[in-house]
Amino acid sequence: MLRRASALLAGLLISVAPARAAPATDADKLAATRVQDLHYGDVLFHYFTGDDFEALTRLEAYQHWQRMPTHVSDAALLAGGMYLTLGLHNEAGARFEQLLTVTVPAGVRNRAWFHLARIWYTRGYFDRTTQALGRIDGSLGAELDAERTHLLVNALMQQQRFAEAAALLANWQGSPVWLAYARFNLGVALVRQDQLAQADPILTAVGTMNAAGTEMLALKDKANLALGYAWLQAGKPEPARSALNRVRLTGPYATRALLGVGWADSSLGEYRAALTPWLELHDRNLLDAAVQESYLAVPYAFAQLGAGAQAAEYYESAIRAFDEESGRLGTAIERIGEGHMLADLLGEGTGTSPGWFWQLKALPDSPQSRYLYAVLADNTFQESLKNFRDLHYFDNTLQTWSGNIDAFGAMVETRERAHAERLPRADALLADDRPAAMVGARTAVDTRLDNIEAGKDVAALGDATQRAQWARIRALEEALAQAGETADARAARDKLRLIRGTLSWQLDDAFRARVYEQRSAIRDLDGALNEAQNRWVRVQSARRSVPQNTAEYATRIAALNERLMALRGQLQQAALREEQFLTQLAQQELQAQQQRLAAYQVQARFALADIYDRASNAPAVTPVAAP
Amino acid sequence: MKSPGKHCITAWALSLLLGGACVQAADNAAAPATPVVAAAAPAAADASALDQQVQDLKKQVVDLNRDLFVLEEELLFPANTQVAIFVSMDVGDFFALDSVQLKVDDREVSNYLYTPREVAALARGGVQRLYVGNLRTGEHELVAFFTGKGPNDRDYRRAASIRFEKGIGAKYLELKITDRAQRAQPEFEIKDWE
Repeated sequence: MLRRASALLAGLLISVAPARAAPATDADKLAATRVQDLHYGDVLFHYFTGDDFEALTRLEAYQHWQRMPTHVSDAALLAGGMYLTLGLHNEAGARFEQLLTVTVPAGVRNRAWFHLARIWYTRGYFDRTTQALGRIDGSLGAELDAERTHLLVNALMQQQRFAEAAALLANWQGSPVWLAYARFNLGVALVRQDQLAQADPILTAVGTMNAAGTEMLALKDKANLALGYAWLQAGKPEPARSALNRVRLTGPYATRALLGVGWADSSLGEYRAALTPWLELHDRNLLDAAVQESYLAVPYAFAQLGAGAQAAEYYESAIRAFDEESGRLGTAIERIGEGHMLADLLGEGTGTSPGWFWQLKALPDSPQSRYLYAVLADNTFQESLKNFRDLHYFDNTLQTWSGNIDAFGAMVETRERAHAERLPRADALLADDRPAAMVGARTAVDTRLDNIEAGKDVAALGDATQRAQWARIRALEEALAQAGETADARAARDKLRLIRGTLSWQLDDAFRARVYEQRSAIRDLDGALNEAQNRWVRVQSARRSVPQNTAEYATRIAALNERLMALRGQLQQAALREEQFLTQLAQQELQAQQQRLAAYQVQARFALADIYDRASNAPAVTPVAAP
Repeated sequence: MKSPGKHCITAWALSLLLGGACVQAADNAAAPATPVVAAAAPAAADASALDQQVQDLKKQVVDLNRDLFVLEEELLFPANTQVAIFVSMDVGDFFALDSVQLKVDDREVSNYLYTPREVAALARGGVQRLYVGNLRTGEHELVAFFTGKGPNDRDYRRAASIRFEKGIGAKYLELKITDRAQRAQPEFEIKDWE
């Protein structure tokens, strides 16, 4: 059921819409969220795969980097839910206090408080349970409203606020199942206030209801048992017997009911009748405390009937049985003291995953298991066991980080060394300020091109052959200018003029395209130069910042390593304290059983001695037939 | 003779009446009603004190784990060289994902086989950060190969590619698996987030 509660809580906190989904319109639900930040989606991916711790780690880290700007509130609610799943109720509660404001739909807010209250109740924080339930504003729906009332009643009763609990239930109406629980709780509350007469009709109604199913039949038995023992305690055996006789012989409360019926008969002086339930009990499992008590009750009844020999026989058998059982208990206590219990209980599962929703599903096949049912079923033990398990998981996680952090340290050292090796080359490179020279050269080229274009110096942009040809023409022109006015010279000049005109026409024809080509080349140069300048700046920046960065990383690594080592120590100490506490709980339970057996043994010995005394001073008694 | 069990009656009655209230849900029919047994006061106090300590420690572990995660990522994948590749799946009726292979600049950087739980997480809206690595600034090419079962349960392998410019900041790419309902076929595309 608690797993279902977690699913409900997760369900109400997380609602992700596929692309085609229509938008949610229910005022009681959070609008379905379309993942818009990839990193929020990554958190959800780990959350949906059940890896809550990894999901929470990533969520916190992505929040640190502000990588989920669109999902700030979704992420905060999800974090609250995951803290709850990991058993961090205080943190979850504090976060919900801040987050569950009027901006969150009332239905979501109410259900979140309700589930938080349930978890706090199970964890034993009854005052917080009542506070959280008090935050619910309006209805949760018929079924959850009923459960909410019961949760509140139980929390009040746990805080000894019986009058408030009774008042709350007095006029309460709900489904037959919840009504039965309500009546039972009210009856118990009234008994606790010494109002047995008022409690009787209420518990009788539960104890005589038409019930089906294991749960309701057990509740019915429980009501009868509670009422029966309440009457016995009040010294009224007749109504006690009526109530106890209604308890089934095969249910979980059968042994206690049989014992009670016997005591009711016995109180009325009907010892032969008392032997019927007690002898039935006597044949059952000696682990049950009611059965243990029957080992004394049976000979007590025989003694009251004057059957001293049978009484003595049963007392002797009881002493032997108690002795053997006490020895077995001693062995179990010793084994628990040697630290085997938690290893037996958790086996290989220790530290594989954290989580408050983990439950011990099977008992180990160990000598002490048979005595530990009561303590293992106890909420305090279960919760501490979860804590113990979580502490180991977290320690294992930090152990993995411990290995990684050593590698990070080595990485930073390597970077420092590599940087030191490259530093002279980088300094030499940076010293000549090459980008500035390149920019100067580029400006000169640009100016030259401007001049060529302005002066229409077409020859300047000719290809290599054309420029060579142009130079030869100029040289020949100068030579011919000195040659005088001969016919040959004139013919040569005419020919040269023709050649020059042809070349000039070719250069002029290609001039605009060549200017464009050069401008384009300068633009490409600008791009490359810009990239080179950026790189130069980055290299300069890296030159300045790398030593600082590596030093900063080294400092961070050292600080984190220190925190890690300290926290591991604390985790291990806390795990040890939990182990000691759990061991102590188990040992206390077993020692209480041992002490009870010892007390029974003393009573049996006294009774036996009394019988022998009487026998030595009185004539023989006729044996009594067992009923 | 005095009744040997008198003290026991008191003990039984008290243990029974101390609790009694049940918080089991009505629909949990398989489980018997469990009494709320009040633990002995000192044990409850010890448990509460220990629980507070454990919660404090757990919070410290969560914080430390976050700081270590941040350090690891900043150290190994600095923002100026970081490239992260995510996988998302919308609906997924026409494609059951088995694996994704990634090649960056013709070099295989990831070959990931999915578990049913991971596929379900993607189908519920989770987005997996499949790969995080470093690339220098400039132009690069990503090719992703998707393998799985397509329509009619046939083996299906498709590729999608993108040429992208890696600038100074971190680069995020999303491999999107969507259903093209009209053609009853899956569709694979790569989105450049920056």
